[in-house]
Amino acid sequence: MKLKIGVHGLTSCYGCQLRMASIKELLEAVKRFDIEYWHMASSKGEIKHVDVAFVEGSVSTAEDEKELKKIRENADILVAVGSCAIHGGVQGMLFGEEYKEIFEEIYGKHEMDFEGRIGEPIKNYVDVDYFLPGCPPEEEEVVYYLACFALGSYPEEKDYPVCSECRRNGYPCIIIEKGEMCLGPLTVAGCNARCPGHNVACIGCRGPLPYNIAWFDSLAKTFKEKGFSKEDVRKRMEIFGKQYKKMDEMIEKVFEDEGGKTDQE
Amino acid sequence: MKVERQIRNDHLARIEGKAGVVVEIGDEVRAKITVTEGPRFFEMITRNKHYEDAAAICPRICSFCSIPHKLTPLEAIEKALEIEVTEQTKQLRNMLYFGNMVESHALHLYLFAIPDYLGFPDAFSMAKEYPDLMKNGMELKNFGAMVQSILGGREIHPENAVVGGFGKLPSQQDMENIKKAAEKVKEAAIATVDFFAEYEYPSYVNIPRNHLAIKPYEGYGVYGEEIVASDGFSFHISGYKEHIKEEVVPYSFAKRGKYKDSPFMVGALSRLVLNKELMNGTAKELVNNYERFLRPENSFANNFSQAIEIVYFTEKIMEMAENIKIKEEKRVMPEKHDGKGYAVTEAPRGLLIYEVDIQNDIVKYMNVITPTAMFIPMMELDAKKMAEGMWNDGYKDIDLVGKKVEMVIRAYDPCISCSVHVIKL
Repeated sequence: MKLKIGVHGLTSCYGCQLRMASIKELLEAVKRFDIEYWHMASSKGEIKHVDVAFVEGSVSTAEDEKELKKIRENADILVAVGSCAIHGGVQGMLFGEEYKEIFEEIYGKHEMDFEGRIGEPIKNYVDVDYFLPGCPPEEEEVVYYLACFALGSYPEEKDYPVCSECRRNGYPCIIIEKGEMCLGPLTVAGCNARCPGHNVACIGCRGPLPYNIAWFDSLAKTFKEKGFSKEDVRKRMEIFGKQYKKMDEMIEKVFEDEGGKTDQE
Repeated sequence: MKVERQIRNDHLARIEGKAGVVVEIGDEVRAKITVTEGPRFFEMITRNKHYEDAAAICPRICSFCSIPHKLTPLEAIEKALEIEVTEQTKQLRNMLYFGNMVESHALHLYLFAIPDYLGFPDAFSMAKEYPDLMKNGMELKNFGAMVQSILGGREIHPENAVVGGFGKLPSQQDMENIKKAAEKVKEAAIATVDFFAEYEYPSYVNIPRNHLAIKPYEGYGVYGEEIVASDGFSFHISGYKEHIKEEVVPYSFAKRGKYKDSPFMVGALSRLVLNKELMNGTAKELVNNYERFLRPENSFANNFSQAIEIVYFTEKIMEMAENIKIKEEKRVMPEKHDGKGYAVTEAPRGLLIYEVDIQNDIVKYMNVITPTAMFIPMMELDAKKMAEGMWNDGYKDIDLVGKKVEMVIRAYDPCISCSVHVIKL
């Protein structure tokens, strides 16, 4: 029997769904699933029981919350897809600000028919079974997750940084060679170090590493050596990871040798 | 007004983003395009960021047009900091932009619009009966994606396009590959035009309207700084706030544009209406052959126009890839750290405006006006006219009327994520 899937979008750029819709072998891939719901691509379908639901986007309205809860109730497995669903996305950067003030600043004093909010990750509202990171996720990852579920298996999430992929490719280190703030050491891998491979510093779009265990110890030294402060690192990490709860802990660890402890391996 | 019948769809399928439509039929017919996609306040989140970071955030406004949402802020930033990029950078950016045009138009036409024409709920079920047609669509989409991946670093959110140039330049071999790929999809592009040149447009939505498009720097290009209107008026981008006014309504998180107090249209149709003389090659021949489908007063002509543009931009990419000789050059870095800049480009859905104010390398103000925010009032008027016309003609099947209303909305290719991710007055 084919696996039933649903694809959903909350508040986002729709890039994760576009990434899913533009995998090269799309027409082949969709034959292997029963797509019960994919509103971006189809006018049929309602939210009902599926084996796997993929959700992109942050919760940014009361409607988003309602819809998300309905999706969760109807899905055996729920996958948070992309930076908005996992961390709140770039719009999640406003976390901590007053919604009303921001709204009025942009729209002026207007009463709206709907309730808006500052974007939040979906795990703040429902249980999430798997995370598929990226802004957007890579094509291979999308196919890998789909294939795992189709085979009755489950996907393994990466717990190592973009740096390790960068080293493996032998790209020149952006921090060392160019002195630029590259977030490769702190960002979850999976893009095969796409940006460093283009001589562009990692902006952390895939989000912070899911566990605060994996980075190269030497990089604390490198950030410091290049004159970056904790604040510099935080400011850049906040673009995609403002609501990551372990951010402080992570940054402290990266800089913890400041007190004079040896950082030699 | 006593409402006799109502058409209500809170979440339209096969468009980008979350919007609905409500049509009320009584003594008169009223229509509302509701935009429920949550607000994301890009104007706020780019503030107090380094200009490079702000430029990297902008594409996240919308994935379908992430290339325009990178290249347009880059142009605004470069104007602010008086950076003159090289001729090669300009050419490669054009090629990247054209790749986005092909992909975005192909996705919209084949995945979103054509299922309406052939009576399918989606492209997947349509593919079973029209495999060759869908194959054309997928080939065109993949071709656009290839150009974006090579030049932009990836097809969605192009990190390789940076202030002053590119992170990594493509190789001569890349250009050769792009040229060959373009040659291969040319037939599919022409077949798309042939498909749309079979359909008559519903006359209910024949409404005279103003079209706005840029006056391109060169050819039928996407960059410029002068905006022209079909009423003969034109203005420089720096005066955009005087001529394009925006309003807020309670049923929409998208602001809505007015030109001279009236709804107006932007996008592929508007570009062809105003600039078709600047086209050349196969696309020009096709426009001439099928001239009766280029109807300024009917928004269904937008789909036909998108198909024409797929041919034009595919051929342009082919020419450029054939003629360019890639040479190594460095990004141009700014000497200035402060300034104000304006930029306007032609995104797939029409005019895209960015304004930026930079102080000491930090963005202090950014404003964005997206094409969808501009054309929503016109789209709303068309939706109303469609329902009104059918109703008065005796169509009482409300589902059928609803389907046609959706179809006219889809003809615009609205990009809802874009429309809400904006703007400060």
